[in-house]
Amino acid sequence: MTDYRDPDDERVHDLLHDAVRDIDPPDRLDSIRARTRVRSIRRRRTWFLGAGAAVVATAATVAGVAVVGGLPGTDQAGGPGFAGGTPGGAAGSTLTTPAAPSGSPTEPAATDASSTAATPSSPTATAEAEGGTQALPVYYVGETSYGLRLFREFHRTQLDGQDPVSAALTQAVSTTPDDGDYRTDWPEGTRVEEVDVDGSGAHTMVTVHLANDGVDLRQRPEQMSRDQARLALQQLVYTAEAAAQSQLRMSFVVDGEPADSVLGVDTSRPLKEADQVDVVALVWIIDPPEGARLSAPFTVSGLANAFEATVHWELSQGDTVVKRGTTTAEQAFVMAPYEFTVKSVPPGDYTLTVTDDDPTGGTEGPGVSVDTKSITVLP
Amino acid sequence: MTDSRAWDADHAVEELYAAHYRRLVRLSVLLVHDVGTAEEVVQDAFVAMHGKWRGLRDPDRALAYLRQSVVNRSRSVLRHRGVQARYVPPSQPDHPSADEDVLAAERRTHVLEALRSLPDRQREVLALRYYLDLSEAQIAEMLGISRGAVKSHASRGVHALRSLVKDAS
Repeated sequence: MTDYRDPDDERVHDLLHDAVRDIDPPDRLDSIRARTRVRSIRRRRTWFLGAGAAVVATAATVAGVAVVGGLPGTDQAGGPGFAGGTPGGAAGSTLTTPAAPSGSPTEPAATDASSTAATPSSPTATAEAEGGTQALPVYYVGETSYGLRLFREFHRTQLDGQDPVSAALTQAVSTTPDDGDYRTDWPEGTRVEEVDVDGSGAHTMVTVHLANDGVDLRQRPEQMSRDQARLALQQLVYTAEAAAQSQLRMSFVVDGEPADSVLGVDTSRPLKEADQVDVVALVWIIDPPEGARLSAPFTVSGLANAFEATVHWELSQGDTVVKRGTTTAEQAFVMAPYEFTVKSVPPGDYTLTVTDDDPTGGTEGPGVSVDTKSITVLP
Repeated sequence: MTDSRAWDADHAVEELYAAHYRRLVRLSVLLVHDVGTAEEVVQDAFVAMHGKWRGLRDPDRALAYLRQSVVNRSRSVLRHRGVQARYVPPSQPDHPSADEDVLAAERRTHVLEALRSLPDRQREVLALRYYLDLSEAQIAEMLGISRGAVKSHASRGVHALRSLVKDAS
């Protein structure tokens, strides 16, 4: 026991010890043991929960492609608007793969503890291509004329048994996007150490364990704006939802402790996705990806939230527009799929630009949304 | 006692539970007042420690982790409750002949209520300093603040607690 020189110290010591002297908690070792067992099982099971959730999003398979990821914020219950939310119908796509045979919805092992030790079987809506790689949806931050917004890329990834949600989140915080216009604002050295998925409640709860040896992720870095911080968190929510193909709530553990704030953003209550209009770029090119090498004819597909659903595109070399055209997204005022085919274009390096129609002519209003990709057209 | 370096996570939980569970619950009671909440906080901390054992591997570090975890979780529970307990001075007992036990129980309640009315940091520093008997350096490290800050939280906390409890007695 410490020797206190000050009688006040002595007195406080006595008061505190006395205050809790009669507290004798009942033995709870068994309940702790039960929970540490559950935790070990749950970690192994995460993968299956992801697969189970994916079954809900059968729209992805209906669309004829099997790519991990829908678009959060859309009506995901399989409405026709969502069916194209994946880069469907992209003929000659380098990323989409033929649909795997549809698994039975009764098959997922999420509720079957006995199969947790088994190797993950191929879930319905994930893109299990040759070589065991998958196209994972990963969101990144990019500049638009109305501020920072999220864009999505698909990254072909060798999962090696890792669940798609944590693989996608790992890439979101630490991997350089393919498109040089995009970036991640997470501090360098940020790691996703573990992802717990709990599908037992009304909402799928995802707990993301983050760590960084260099900085305290609870605090907002000095050079980061509040909007950037908020968007960085939404980047994770959108990425996880796309990978899980399910809406979810996200909470955070930083360096092993539940975190009430991450990058200075209040996370004392689980985060849900923010309104698409506030966080997602309004025009995306999903396919072809940045740096694609392809030969004409090829199909360009993506998502746009465009006025009167009109989407403009052009292929240019430097200042010279070589080809341009217009197409129509399936719906206006929501993120809806669009697609067009470039029938012929001379071989060479191009910038592919897709923009929404700007009803104000660019003189007022939020301006035009643009996404660009550098592509090479082969002979 | 077996060689602690060879413990697995389950074994570490058992050993540390046996040695520290009650004390950690009491620590948490000093922070959150409520016994049920304190039990949950400490159980959560043990579950978390189990998950981290591979990185800890050492009973001293595991204990430090548990303490820190209990302090942080207690703080976050209070924040979730959203309402900072306001200190309500106890009414004068209108039965002066109340027996010793009742008086002691009232005194304990007063102290816990007074603690709850202090700012988070003061309450934490007091509990760590005077209940766990940690050094200023240990507290500074655990709370991520300077030793000077520990000293000043402690002296303000002692002062505040003394006057609150004096009011009550």
